[in-house]
Amino acid sequence: MSRLSKKSPSVCTDMPLDNTDICSKLHLLKQILTSCFGPTGRLKQVHNNIGGHVVTTSASSVLLSSVSSSQPFINLIKTSILNHVSRFSDCGLFAAILCLSLIEQIKKSALKESVAIRVNNYLLALCTSYLQREDCGCRVKLDFCSTQNLITLARSVISSKPACVLTEPETFHISKLAVQAFLLTVPCSSPGIVSFGRIVTVPVEGHSVLSSEVLPGLLVEMPDGLSEEDKLLNPLSVVLFSASLAGDISELGDGVIEAHPDVDTDSQILGQLLELGRQVINDEVKLFMCQKVIHPVLQQYLRSHGVIVVERLGIALMEPLTQLTGAQPVATLHTTIPPKTYGKVRDLCIKHFGSKTMLHLFPLGESAICTMILCHRNQTMLNELKVVCQTAEHVLRLTLREPFALVGGGCTEINLAAYVRHKSKSEVPETASVLMCSQTEYLLGVELFCCALESAARALEHDGGSSLIDLTHAHRWMLPADAIKETMEESLGFCGCGLVQSSPSKKWIYLSTKYSDFCPSSVFRDTRVQPRVLDSFTAKLSALQVAVETANLALDVKYIIQDMN
Amino acid sequence: MPPLGHLHMEHVLQAVGVLEAVILRSFGPEGGQVLFTRDTGQVLLSRSGTRILTALHLEHPFARMVVECVWKHSSATGDGSKTFILLLASLLRLIHAAASKGSNVSHSYSSTKAAEAATARHLADKLLAFGLKELDELIATGVVPYGGCISWEDFTVEAQTSSLTNNLCVQKLLRSFFHTRCGYTHCDFSSHLTCELLSHWNFKNQLPSFSLQLVSDYFPALHTPVSGFPVRSSRLIEGQVIHRDFATPPLKTDHQPVKAVVLTGSLQPTLLSTGDVLELGYRGRMKEERSILHFSSWMESSLQGVIAKLQTLGVCVLLSAVKQSAAVLALATQAEMCLVECVSEDELSLFSQLSGTTPIWDCSMIESEHVATLAFCRPIQLGAHRYKKHTSITIKPCSLIICAPGEGQIEQYACALQDAIRMLLRTWEPMLAAATTTSKSTLQSHKGASLHTDSLTEQTPYRSIAIQPIQKPGCVLSAGGLFELLLHYALLQHGHSCSVSPDLNIDASVSQLLANALLSVPQKIYSHSPKFPNDSHPFSLGDKLSKVSELDLGLESVSCKYQLLLAVLQCVASLLKVDAVLPTHTALHTQSRRLARTSWEDTEDEGEG
Repeated sequence: MSRLSKKSPSVCTDMPLDNTDICSKLHLLKQILTSCFGPTGRLKQVHNNIGGHVVTTSASSVLLSSVSSSQPFINLIKTSILNHVSRFSDCGLFAAILCLSLIEQIKKSALKESVAIRVNNYLLALCTSYLQREDCGCRVKLDFCSTQNLITLARSVISSKPACVLTEPETFHISKLAVQAFLLTVPCSSPGIVSFGRIVTVPVEGHSVLSSEVLPGLLVEMPDGLSEEDKLLNPLSVVLFSASLAGDISELGDGVIEAHPDVDTDSQILGQLLELGRQVINDEVKLFMCQKVIHPVLQQYLRSHGVIVVERLGIALMEPLTQLTGAQPVATLHTTIPPKTYGKVRDLCIKHFGSKTMLHLFPLGESAICTMILCHRNQTMLNELKVVCQTAEHVLRLTLREPFALVGGGCTEINLAAYVRHKSKSEVPETASVLMCSQTEYLLGVELFCCALESAARALEHDGGSSLIDLTHAHRWMLPADAIKETMEESLGFCGCGLVQSSPSKKWIYLSTKYSDFCPSSVFRDTRVQPRVLDSFTAKLSALQVAVETANLALDVKYIIQDMN
Repeated sequence: MPPLGHLHMEHVLQAVGVLEAVILRSFGPEGGQVLFTRDTGQVLLSRSGTRILTALHLEHPFARMVVECVWKHSSATGDGSKTFILLLASLLRLIHAAASKGSNVSHSYSSTKAAEAATARHLADKLLAFGLKELDELIATGVVPYGGCISWEDFTVEAQTSSLTNNLCVQKLLRSFFHTRCGYTHCDFSSHLTCELLSHWNFKNQLPSFSLQLVSDYFPALHTPVSGFPVRSSRLIEGQVIHRDFATPPLKTDHQPVKAVVLTGSLQPTLLSTGDVLELGYRGRMKEERSILHFSSWMESSLQGVIAKLQTLGVCVLLSAVKQSAAVLALATQAEMCLVECVSEDELSLFSQLSGTTPIWDCSMIESEHVATLAFCRPIQLGAHRYKKHTSITIKPCSLIICAPGEGQIEQYACALQDAIRMLLRTWEPMLAAATTTSKSTLQSHKGASLHTDSLTEQTPYRSIAIQPIQKPGCVLSAGGLFELLLHYALLQHGHSCSVSPDLNIDASVSQLLANALLSVPQKIYSHSPKFPNDSHPFSLGDKLSKVSELDLGLESVSCKYQLLLAVLQCVASLLKVDAVLPTHTALHTQSRRLARTSWEDTEDEGEG
């Protein structure tokens, strides 16, 4: 009874978007995320008040999960974005910036929330159908015959995370490795159900990034008592145990076991283990691996018969190992090991990476397992590099489902905005009546949506330059802050994604100025001109949808109830 | 709260008024979402009245009583919790006005109040009596003719040809339901999805309510929440999803059919159960059969025997409710069987229901009747999790994948879907409010027994308690306050006809009161739209009807509305029976305990005493 306490009543907030505190928090969040966006984004150091670990990052996944707010409204947006990132790994900042600017734009205008939601919904459908179209001006079909586009895609991901601190050649090297590793995990000739292989990452600290490499097969911890001179017959027979071989008593149930002092149970079990060892040696197994611990006597026995023993593999390596060797894990100790559970390894060799020495297992046939060794100068950068490589792998894998990419560098957003502006101008009365609003409301909604898209593109610029749009293809161009008006054409060079080159016939205007709507013409594909920046199609499309849906949801919230218990 | 509360109408009105103010935020076509955080920090979204009210953690005894009533009502019909509060508030206001007018004789303050309370109580009782007796017939004559009727064929036949125009009635009904529960954005999408789901779960030779009940009962096992995707990625997939990954490598080949067995216990035999003692070393002498090795090898060999038995039966999929040992995993892998561990009870019970097999506890007793035949069995990647999915060969089940950017939203959609099915069930099977509790208990017993029900064709017990239906099953009406308007006029007419005959003239005032209270609902719905005729001066019925049909807000169920009215009347009656709140103090805390309990019986005692 003494622990009985009264439940405190909930705290309620009416009309959260009219609340100045919430609005200023939203604005702050938007500013933080905007300043992180893109290759020239600024890094953020996150550290808590009790002197914990300091994180340096510009990635939305790290940033959003470490920033906590007492305001459920902020958390609502935060979790939406984080969930998107956990599924697609990419475009988290884009989604967050788009969502927040959409909310801010609509809040600033006099547009009714319910109308804005309907208009946003309609325009989102317009955007997604445009992006799926053949003649979409910002979509590039990926050609799997050449690795160039894939490398560009990987590089866009890697270069957008400045916390990795990579030089230009290093970025290129890592991009190449990411694509190489990705290609190795795609099985070439397996009929029936295709299952992807796996990239096992081994981080090595203190080495140059350029010494990172991708190896087919797997690396395991170097076992004791193996010298480089040992020559083994190839291929090697492998046995893989998933049960502990430490000599512990197997589980018989919940009852009590009473051992008489005369009975030496340990030696009986050890005898059984050695029996197992004898069978393995008779079956000419050369590599003996166990997920858990192996009894030292058994280890010694096996080694003395020329068997390489690897213990404590851990659960994470078990699945790749079964895939690599074709062995089936064994967990029975009393019955003879069925011959079909043995696997094979073509060869093994010893590899040195800095302080680490590891045993490299080569697959017998074709195998979709590979190891990526990532090197970087210090721990923080290495951690970020690991995250970035996983993102790149995920993004590359997504291309197998939808073999497209979207042009990067802000061109997609600008192009989309131009298209929406143009498309929505036709059939205004009909659309407005379907959306149950007046024509002015509808046009205002369209303008707000496009402005939000453009502000996401403008967020890429951090050095005081200005963004321009060309009036033929509707791509984004960057004008450095110190450029002179007269030489504008030269200083522009290529557009944000590198697909369009500046020419005297082109007209540009500043993004902030109003322009009369036009239909963006798709870029004539010259095969010599390849885009320099590509974004994942699947991830960006989903990010767009998540951003608009989350904004709609936030606009629809009329009341907040906070349980204070 | 006053230290010793003689309760007056004002207090009740005040409490309900506060609730009404909260509910109005999410009521009607312009209403929005309510965001709330649980004490666990979880963020939830809702437009459901019940959800919002329970989240408030109210202290006021009256408010708690009302919330309890709303909760009871909505768990039966799945709908109408917001209208409940609005109707309740407007009824109480009108009763208060009528009571204070009736007892206008000048007395001392307290006696006036007492007289007022007595009149109000009297009125509320009469309202309830009237509602139970007359309302049914009034609705049948005054409302039902204006409505349509959904038929079960709407679901089944047309959804298969996937023409969305034909099952428009059900679509519209669901559409307006989702509009009130999840907002405008995805109401079309959700109603399509629900229709599709229900059309897949249609059984031949079965009443529609059977499949509705089945989907409603097994909804937790039938849907998979996937966060991080846009809502529009929600879809139906063929087969049942088991929300666990394979513990052993999944089947390599895609050969069909696949044979499966459900296990509820460990496959490995237990040698020692709790309390048993195994003595090693018999009388100091070492005997071969008393060594520990003997026992562990016996265990392994018997396990091998079980696996071999399963192999002879052709089983290659094992679904286990518990975690299996490493030896089981290894042996199953070697026997090319795939194993799924820790499958939830709901899923296994649905599996048994669909496949018509029984789970095994003791593995030595495996017979062919335990073996289910599946059309396929494969892993499926949904978001971050890899699950197993399969389908049975006889029935074509399908599961629902609910996607949304955040977990709060997914939960909202899942709740709305479940309530939508409940609402459809009530629409289809109108029943008396009194029968609600009985049916609920039988439902539970049905669910528990389903593990052992052999086939779907068997008549399940809850079907037997069908009460003589008052209205035709599946009666629907245009949404947006049409029901309230029609009933308003029907009540006025009824009152008029009653007042002609002198002995029944009390009835007239009651029906007049109810009629006026009903008007508050359409008033609130159109409070944002200036086009709607204001009800301060009378308009013709046709005028308003044309307005309602013009806005086209979809359809709503007549039987749900009827039950709602009865529930509100009951709530009013019981609220007004309470005359005092006695705050008591426990020894440890100065916390007030409420004497006015929330259940029906207690409040009645209170009123008499």
